[in-house]
Amino acid sequence: MLESPRRKPLSGALMFGVGVGWVVVYIVCLLVVKETDVPRGVGIALAFAPILPFLAFLRILGRVSREADELHQRVQLEALAFAYPAMMVLLMTLGLLELVVPLSPDDFSLRHLWAYMPALYFAGLALAWRRYK
Amino acid sequence: MTNRLRVLRAERGWSQQELAERVGVSRQTINAVETERYEPSLSLAFKLAAIFATTIEELFEPGR
Repeated sequence: MLESPRRKPLSGALMFGVGVGWVVVYIVCLLVVKETDVPRGVGIALAFAPILPFLAFLRILGRVSREADELHQRVQLEALAFAYPAMMVLLMTLGLLELVVPLSPDDFSLRHLWAYMPALYFAGLALAWRRYK
Repeated sequence: MTNRLRVLRAERGWSQQELAERVGVSRQTINAVETERYEPSLSLAFKLAAIFATTIEELFEPGR
């Protein structure tokens, strides 16, 4: 009753590896699109290319999340509960700010803002773990 | 909610890791329950009570 046979759990290292692969694909696509003179069609294809490794990452993330024990699931939920509204506040603030102060697209374009999301998620993760350790 | 998890575990000479493996959770979860920072689900509470051959009422007490 207590011990139920389970599928071999996926390792966090695999998820990390695929996550790194996804970001590497994104960076390569970004550099190619930004630094070279690719035809418009190729550029659009490259803009969508990181979605493929992202889907692989999402699949592994979903399985790792489902396999996590209840405390880890709670911590993940609390991290997201912090990161999501924090990102909203950041975007709202930048939105208001750009009405009065011109924000350079070299610093605050969409390709820069996404990086705040994992940063806020990891901040939320650290805060949540502090509560339970 | 207080609990007697640490006492019962020590009586059996089990490490947190050992108990965690027996009930199928992480060591961090056992630690968080023992230090009363986390209240386990009913399912985990039943597993813990069963592993120590006791009842949930004897393992956990309302309070604090």
